[in-house]
Amino acid sequence: MEIFRHDLVVVGGGGAGLRAAIAAAESDPAARIALVSKVYPMRSHTVSAEGGAAAVARPDDSFEQHAYDTVKGSDFLADQDVVEYFVHEAPGELTRLEHWGCPWSRNEDGTVATRAFGGMATKRTWFAADKVGFHMLHTLFQHSLRFEGIVRYDEYFAVKLLVEEGRVQGVLALDVRTGELVVFAAPSTLLCTGGAGKAFPFTTNGNIKTGDGMALAYRAGVPLKDMEFVQYHPTGLPGTGILITEAARGEGGYLRNADGERFLVTRDYGVGTKAELGPRDMISRAIILEIEAGRGVQGEDGEYVLLDLTHLGEEKINTRLPFVRELALTYAGVDPVREPIPIRPVVHYMMGGIDVNIDGATDLPGLYAAGEAACVSLNGANRLGSNSLTECMVFGARSGLAALRFAREAGGVDEARLRARAEESREGVESRRGRKAGTVRISELRRRLNATMEKGCGVYRDEERMQETVATIAELRPLLSEIALEDDSRVFNTEVVAALELENLFDVAEAVAGAALARKESRGAHARRDYPNRDDQNYLHHSLVYHDPSRPRLATKPVALGRFQPEERKY
Amino acid sequence: MARMAHPQAMQPARPPRTRTARPKAPDYLRPRMLSYLLFDATGIVYLLAGLVVLRAVFALASGPAAWQAFVADLHHPGYVAFHLLTFVSAVFVGVRFFRLFPKAQPARIGPLRPPPRPLIHAMLYAVWIAVTAFVVAAMVGVIP
Amino acid sequence: MADGSKTKTFIVTRFDPDRHEAPTTETYEVPVRERWKVLDALNYIKDELDPTLSHRWSCRMAVCGSCGMNVNGEPKLTCKTSLAEYGDTVRVEPLANFPVVRDLVVELDGFMDKFRAVKPWIIKAKERAVEEGPHRQSPEELEVFRQFSMCINCMLCYAACPVVANEPEFLGPAAIALGHRYNEDSRDEGARERNRIFRGEGTIFSCSYANECSEVCPKHVDPAAAINQAKFRAVLDWAASFVTSGPREE
Repeated sequence: MEIFRHDLVVVGGGGAGLRAAIAAAESDPAARIALVSKVYPMRSHTVSAEGGAAAVARPDDSFEQHAYDTVKGSDFLADQDVVEYFVHEAPGELTRLEHWGCPWSRNEDGTVATRAFGGMATKRTWFAADKVGFHMLHTLFQHSLRFEGIVRYDEYFAVKLLVEEGRVQGVLALDVRTGELVVFAAPSTLLCTGGAGKAFPFTTNGNIKTGDGMALAYRAGVPLKDMEFVQYHPTGLPGTGILITEAARGEGGYLRNADGERFLVTRDYGVGTKAELGPRDMISRAIILEIEAGRGVQGEDGEYVLLDLTHLGEEKINTRLPFVRELALTYAGVDPVREPIPIRPVVHYMMGGIDVNIDGATDLPGLYAAGEAACVSLNGANRLGSNSLTECMVFGARSGLAALRFAREAGGVDEARLRARAEESREGVESRRGRKAGTVRISELRRRLNATMEKGCGVYRDEERMQETVATIAELRPLLSEIALEDDSRVFNTEVVAALELENLFDVAEAVAGAALARKESRGAHARRDYPNRDDQNYLHHSLVYHDPSRPRLATKPVALGRFQPEERKY
Repeated sequence: MARMAHPQAMQPARPPRTRTARPKAPDYLRPRMLSYLLFDATGIVYLLAGLVVLRAVFALASGPAAWQAFVADLHHPGYVAFHLLTFVSAVFVGVRFFRLFPKAQPARIGPLRPPPRPLIHAMLYAVWIAVTAFVVAAMVGVIP
Repeated sequence: MADGSKTKTFIVTRFDPDRHEAPTTETYEVPVRERWKVLDALNYIKDELDPTLSHRWSCRMAVCGSCGMNVNGEPKLTCKTSLAEYGDTVRVEPLANFPVVRDLVVELDGFMDKFRAVKPWIIKAKERAVEEGPHRQSPEELEVFRQFSMCINCMLCYAACPVVANEPEFLGPAAIALGHRYNEDSRDEGARERNRIFRGEGTIFSCSYANECSEVCPKHVDPAAAINQAKFRAVLDWAASFVTSGPREE
């Protein structure tokens, strides 16, 4: 088995992974950094982010205001030390991207333009038209190419963390091209593998968002934190789930029901005068309630409401929202210049993730995480739109530096033992190839998992349905070893990868459902019909889920409060 | 089309980690591709036209009799057809070139900016028509 | 069919280096729905008919650039291409001009080398400090290169290019467009370095302006415009080198 030796292994080549690798390479040009990704980095799902990245930029704005908006948006479940650090670092990080070539949209005077976003008190969202994730990712990727210290391993799928002497000393990975298992040996590993939207049937997430890093850490004994908080984005295209950015509302778009009524204005959904610029959790709930009240539009992919941009005019749509127009035309057959876009809430983002501290460090020495895969507790129970791209930069950089520092202190790795440990796992992976004797297909099992996640962990939840989901996941899980795999070829066997991804999704789904069931209150994106109110007395804490082969073990962790005390969340 | 592209088209610099199949060539039979191939093929027409000009020069150098013979030859249907083909080729290449030329202008050259693309396009045609008019005028003797 | 679907025949390239000497094809009958893209049909094959088919895809919203393939001979982003554009038979092949790794998966390493060769990053004589804040860049200055920064690296342009087919060293549309994008960025000072690369063998002057790259580009990047603007610049630079007294570039 081939061993690649490095100082730091970054798994995942999206926004956080690339930022981390660049930070580490800049700080020490001699450091040998592996950038391991199951896809070419520019395919990473950061590419699909549309609306923008938040950082204080205008004289009428302040760090305190950004922090307050973030904490209030989180329904007071964000760790406030993390939020403070984040808002202070954010402008510098976005400025770095500007220096590296990110084509931010500009004001007439040449300064960087900002736009309004949900839950933000003022215009602080930097943007490059409505392809911000795309431009940030490509800027980072292109910039990363100048560093000799960053060695890319494209299309390698991480299978297992190799833990020796109580610390992570490497990663076992499948070279998808050759079908060979390889070992990345390094004293420090950073997981930047993104979220797990594919646990759900209706999601904005791409096919690669399968919670791989979350599952790797979980199985290695690291808890997943706040997994019950799954963000539903209010505006996805029915059927495909393709994202229509919040910037469409930031630029002045309206939400209307079947009667043409701007329901966020005419009815009380708690968003007050913010109307369409309320936070995502509240607007998603409002849409569901409108549909339940019979004011949705019936379509072939279920009921939906309307996102109306027609009053913005063709020129504004073309300059500020060209991608929205392209997506609506291509995937919904609707030209937003002339007609409203059909939309409904869609799974978008996991607030939860691998439990890490402000340095991105887990409790397992040598293991770090950043980006959507991690839960540094910036987003609490509900993330504000445009905070996550900035999060990838701020905490990607900090985690990359911290992980490299750890690598310097931790010393070498025990290669002989790593090799032995890796060999133990070889059979498990290779026996999957062409395991035709199974009884169930990957697609079938994935569909069943998706269905139960949608049912139990939707926008609104209740005890009974969550119980059912927890039970169904436990019931389906043994079928993972019953999967029939027909592809026995060595080269680019995507069926084996899909099987491993499905196992990861099961781990994540189990944590989501388990944590959701345990939280008997409504907070942020976790809205329960049976417990409609927030309960700070009993639930102002983070939830942790530990892996256990029999059933997941739950625990809690205090929230780091600060200058903002919990108050009623009303806009 | 079963034709292969160059065996090394887009080959990695390092040896591949698994055996690959040779690249396929683009489909040359698609209408756009055919039109490009025709455009390329007009080079042959211009080569032949150049040979005709050479013959004219030699005829001119060899005295009035040779020149008269050459002029007489020009009335041959083959020559007429060839000149028609040359004319069509020139128009085809001109139109194609004029369509593609405007966007090849950099957005700025120092302090200068090229005019809007439709204007460049129109100017090319204007120049073409003017030159043609001049040549025709010279030939029919309006311009001495 | 009663549910509004209609069956189409898909002829798909299959290649496994351990099994096949050369690529072969396999035929599938797929009940396609009205709004389906080509990618939806491939995913249907993978999920329901034949899980051994390998193809790359992710975002299914025309921005990650993974799912480029030749469809009925034309390079297409399969997640953006509606099946309604085609008749009853659809031929899906790996992108032309690329070595085939497996089924519909092609070798990208060659491209990645070319991509890096144009130094696609901001080059500065002196690095700008974060404290100095963002550069000023007017909307007009942004507009100069914005279009060329929209490339998703889907490789359709390489599959369409007749020059790439015959001259493997050709730097190619996406890479040159990217280099040109940085050359035209008001924040960049690396044009000299990149133009030195552009003056080498197999770069901008290998382009015969077939314009095929721009015809197939799903993001309207117009790489042909970029390459030919780069030629224009190179010629101007060359001409200027006779006029100005400044140091001649080698």
